[in-house]
Amino acid sequence: MDIDVTQSSEVTVVAPKGDLDMAAADQVKRTLTGLIGQGQSRLVMDLGGVGYIDSSGMGVLVASMKQARAAGGDVRLCGLQEDVRAIFEMTRLIKAMSVHPTRQEALASWR
Amino acid sequence: MTRPAAKGTFSMTSEAGELVRLRKWLREELEGHGVPRPDQSNLLLAVGELCNNSIQHAYEGQSGKPIRVSVRSSDEALTIEVEDFGKPFDAEQYEAPNLEAVPDHGYGLFLVKTIADNLSVDIARERGTRWTIVKYRPGRGPAVGTKDGVSRS
Repeated sequence: MDIDVTQSSEVTVVAPKGDLDMAAADQVKRTLTGLIGQGQSRLVMDLGGVGYIDSSGMGVLVASMKQARAAGGDVRLCGLQEDVRAIFEMTRLIKAMSVHPTRQEALASWR
Repeated sequence: MTRPAAKGTFSMTSEAGELVRLRKWLREELEGHGVPRPDQSNLLLAVGELCNNSIQHAYEGQSGKPIRVSVRSSDEALTIEVEDFGKPFDAEQYEAPNLEAVPDHGYGLFLVKTIADNLSVDIARERGTRWTIVKYRPGRGPAVGTKDGVSRS
């Protein structure tokens, strides 16, 4: 899976492209854990390029959110496609995580 | 008029890299069975989760082991079976996730149960587990509110 990582002021934007399934979950986990370990715990996860997510992918996002929050930051989500959003609703993660329609709004939430 | 019971089958091995191929096949299969678009996405997820379980739990991460998926349909419902030949599913070990606690694991079977109109598991076999998902066609099936958990055989 391609994962684009960019810095925007004090916030790091992570934008994976492809299916966030069991095959990709470890790669995303390593990326997020690595960033948080380097002190970059203010994260925006842009899921606009993710058309499919399963429980492995969601587990990585939740674990990273908890790790980031423990370090004083957060993992904030944006760009959820309809199918992906539906799964966040089923699992109620839509309420537990900070979810924004667009990357701009997710970045603005950090200001 | 009764729709003929068509059946398609798919075989994969127990590697996460096979899941893309599975989804491609299943999407085309569901399209061919006239499954509405939102149900297609949900069923792709449910079947993917059962295959994840086979890879992680039944085969405990061993690659090269067989997993079979079959789809058949009627006017009433779509029936999907996912079968492996590894360690049988142990219902005693299963604990539904406490969503209020926002766990970072354990969503897989919860999602399958949420998506399926009926879910059953057959472990009374020589080896492995066969899951059966039933999804009724819109306006068919038992009255709303009668859906229950996993039935075992």
